[in-house]
Amino acid sequence: MSELSAISLLQGKRLEDTRAFLARHGLSMGEDMDYTAQLFEGGVIFATGSLCGNVLKYVAVEESAQGEGACARIVSELASEAYRRGRTHLFLYTKPDSAPFFRSLGFYDVIAAGGIAMLENHKAGLDAYLASLQRGTGRQGAVVMNCAPFTLGHRYLVEEAAQRVDSLHLFVVSEEWGPFSPEKRLAMVKVGTADIPHILLHECGSYLVSAATFPTYFIKDKCRAEAAQAELDIALFGQKIAPALSISIRFVGTEPYCPVTARYNRRLAEELPRYGLELVELPRKDGISASEVRRAMAANDWERVRQLVPQSTYEALRSNA
Amino acid sequence: MQIVQPAVAGTMESSDIMIRIEPGGAGVELSLESSVLSQFGKQIESVIRGSLAELGVESARVTAVDKGALDCTVRARVMTAAYRGAGQENHSWEVKV
Repeated sequence: MSELSAISLLQGKRLEDTRAFLARHGLSMGEDMDYTAQLFEGGVIFATGSLCGNVLKYVAVEESAQGEGACARIVSELASEAYRRGRTHLFLYTKPDSAPFFRSLGFYDVIAAGGIAMLENHKAGLDAYLASLQRGTGRQGAVVMNCAPFTLGHRYLVEEAAQRVDSLHLFVVSEEWGPFSPEKRLAMVKVGTADIPHILLHECGSYLVSAATFPTYFIKDKCRAEAAQAELDIALFGQKIAPALSISIRFVGTEPYCPVTARYNRRLAEELPRYGLELVELPRKDGISASEVRRAMAANDWERVRQLVPQSTYEALRSNA
Repeated sequence: MQIVQPAVAGTMESSDIMIRIEPGGAGVELSLESSVLSQFGKQIESVIRGSLAELGVESARVTAVDKGALDCTVRARVMTAAYRGAGQENHSWEVKV
């Protein structure tokens, strides 16, 4: 009988063995796992899977042992541990061919695009998220922003976009990212846009631009991984989110600095029309970027920070500093 | 019995059932996936609902992924999940006679 062994911190030889095992199954392992369950036979790994936040990753089973419930044991253990840790909404990414198997383990389709299927363990979890969002009226647009922190550039983009539609849906990315928690970012945006009419503020939850959860690990080619990520994200927006909220326009700021974001914007311009949506690229105000604000903060240059962010953000940053 | 926290019991291995329970819901909201849904779906559902009713659980969101568990297994998994969800780990398992 094989032996199930689970561990919070994978390290040393066992980490090396796991990497080698995954590599043979076409997966590359990052360093984001916080719990790993494995099956051993005679001291040799023949099935493995990890929990990374609320995402199940790095799941692979030796071909000779497939169809014998090894994967079900791994996924059961990971799901149980996730629940013990209070994470009840779980996601996984897999090849569309493997999706039926995970459906039999209580996972449901969110979306499939770019050769990747995204599944979640809540039946109609996405529908529930969409139903929870406040509705607008008339011609409606959307902006998705990280806002780490909320700058005058973000504010300008929101003001300009809001003037072009009757309701503007403002999605703030919910990932833990950089020095600002999602709650802090949302609060900064809320205060900083309070005087702009017709804005509906939303959290992205796990459904929009969640970079940390993205499955680049099963695509070897980094460029293709990035393209697949954009495709999945855009499909989710175009097929599900925009129709649910009657959004017809997506706004982005021009991106002169970050090549990844610039490519993402190009993909948006190509893909959104396929869903009957329009992309409007607004010029970036005075070249302000959130990363410049973070650099100024790191250098303790508060005068510079003050020039780049609204007063409300400045106060929020000072009170934390 | 009041469900106050998410909890899970069981596995998705063959002949077992994984029961997830969460607070909330209007009454007991059950979503059931089973490898034998067409043959035994109604029976499994009635065992789950019956076990929860016995424990006095009036509202909860319950997700069950069944892999052909026997009724006694279903019952045991539901009870364990419910006790954990109610924050009661030290219950007596002795059979009442």
